[in-house]
Amino acid sequence: MNLLTVSNLTKRYRRGGKTIAAVDDISFHIEPGETLALAGPSGSGKSTIARLVLRLIEPDAGHIEFEGNDFLALSGAALRQRRARLQMVFQDPLAAFNPRSTVARLLDDPLRIHGIAARAERPRRIAALLERVGLAADLAPRAIHEISGGQRQRVAIARAIATKPSLIVLDEAVSALDVSVRGQILELLLDLQRQERIAYLFISHDLGVVRAIAHRVVLLEAGEIAECGDARTVIDAPQSAIGKALVAAAPRLNRTRP
Amino acid sequence: MSPLRRFLRKPEAVAGAILLAALVAMALSAPMLFPGDPQAIAGPALLPPFQDWSLPLGTDRLGRDVLAELFYGARTSLAVGLAAAAAALAIGSVVGTLAGFAGGLVDEVLMRITDAFQTVPGFLLALAFVSVVGPSLGIVVIAIALGTWTGPARVARAEVLSIRERDYVAGARVIGMHPLAIAFREVLPNALPPVLAMSSVIVAAAILTEAALSFLGLGDPNRATWGGMIAEGRAVLRTAPFLSIVPGIALVLTVLGVYLAGEGIVETTAVRRGLS
Repeated sequence: MNLLTVSNLTKRYRRGGKTIAAVDDISFHIEPGETLALAGPSGSGKSTIARLVLRLIEPDAGHIEFEGNDFLALSGAALRQRRARLQMVFQDPLAAFNPRSTVARLLDDPLRIHGIAARAERPRRIAALLERVGLAADLAPRAIHEISGGQRQRVAIARAIATKPSLIVLDEAVSALDVSVRGQILELLLDLQRQERIAYLFISHDLGVVRAIAHRVVLLEAGEIAECGDARTVIDAPQSAIGKALVAAAPRLNRTRP
Repeated sequence: MSPLRRFLRKPEAVAGAILLAALVAMALSAPMLFPGDPQAIAGPALLPPFQDWSLPLGTDRLGRDVLAELFYGARTSLAVGLAAAAAALAIGSVVGTLAGFAGGLVDEVLMRITDAFQTVPGFLLALAFVSVVGPSLGIVVIAIALGTWTGPARVARAEVLSIRERDYVAGARVIGMHPLAIAFREVLPNALPPVLAMSSVIVAAAILTEAALSFLGLGDPNRATWGGMIAEGRAVLRTAPFLSIVPGIALVLTVLGVYLAGEGIVETTAVRRGLS
């Protein structure tokens, strides 16, 4: 059974009397423990889809089924409770955290809100989460702006896995990191997926990263699906014009091809 | 350079801080230096200043010690000024946060209420409120806060409107935080700096409004107030002008001190935020 099924999802914006479809009749699905990548140039609707799936914005049409339930039908407390299973990691880890918070408070929030651990037990759980993402437990009292970008993205991942989700949306989660740190974070994500069977909706414009982490890929252009299929097949031999353009724009891929 | 060092390099800010410190010292030392009732008769009526060193600033029409009244008046001014400003800032930031974060109908209703309060002149509102409910320290504080919370509310709302689009608010929604918790734990603390920057002006205005209410006889009648002293002295303005001049100078210096010190703090912290 599919973990997430998105069908005929549409989101339109009105700008200056004209209606633009940011996401136009998109359908896809994700299976448990699978990584589906959404790739495409800027303005192709990748991030809008991420925000629609997370119910941060509401669609104009379409259905989202998550873990066998109609996700769009939920509201209020039921929706907040369900959010534990569907988490997100943002592109810019500095913007994604309250600038006043500490590492401990960021990890405490999900544990407290979803009643995962009693107050007395939480410091231990926070330390365990930090260790799980490869950070030292003594990082907990530090302010979020005092730690490095790579550490911050690890904290973001720790926060996302705190509620034991079945799906994590990664919106350009490694795009702002430098290359060496990016490799380590991708390793961590693959490791978590192997052990916890977490599925990823991986949003990126970088086909090199997509090829390394995704099982399947959906290429988007102007809010519509241009091409989809097995990640390596699509990236090694793109059929659509936008697919060819994206591959051509990533010179590393051309070099490594035999 | 630390904010304190930057503050100390501004002569006007230091002058303000010294004036403010003197005011606080007056307010705190009043019951120790003048243990009796400041409104009790202490000597002959209308004694001019610097004649009798047990009554350095002389006495008023009823023979009350002007210096003692001045010290106790500092207590009233400071208490009312700070309490009214704190109440105005608290109401303003809560209303502004709710309006900006909730949007839609809630925003519309709250902002029309804010408009309604803003159209009535603040002093008139305070005057009407005190004359209906009756003068006492708490009522004066509420009356002044009623006319001043609209400014902080508008500033807070504008700030919240920009903050609620940030990623960390989306992040808080994703982890399932309750909207009220997001508004008051994630958004409000980050919207506060520009609201707090208004506090020096609000405190200064509140002290002046309190003095004006007391001058019109609408202050707390059981407390010595500078406004009340000026009103008292008005009847004998030609023969004993010092009775109005002394509390008048105290009022001017206090407002100046609050304003200069407040501006100094705002400027030094603004520089720090700009750098980070």
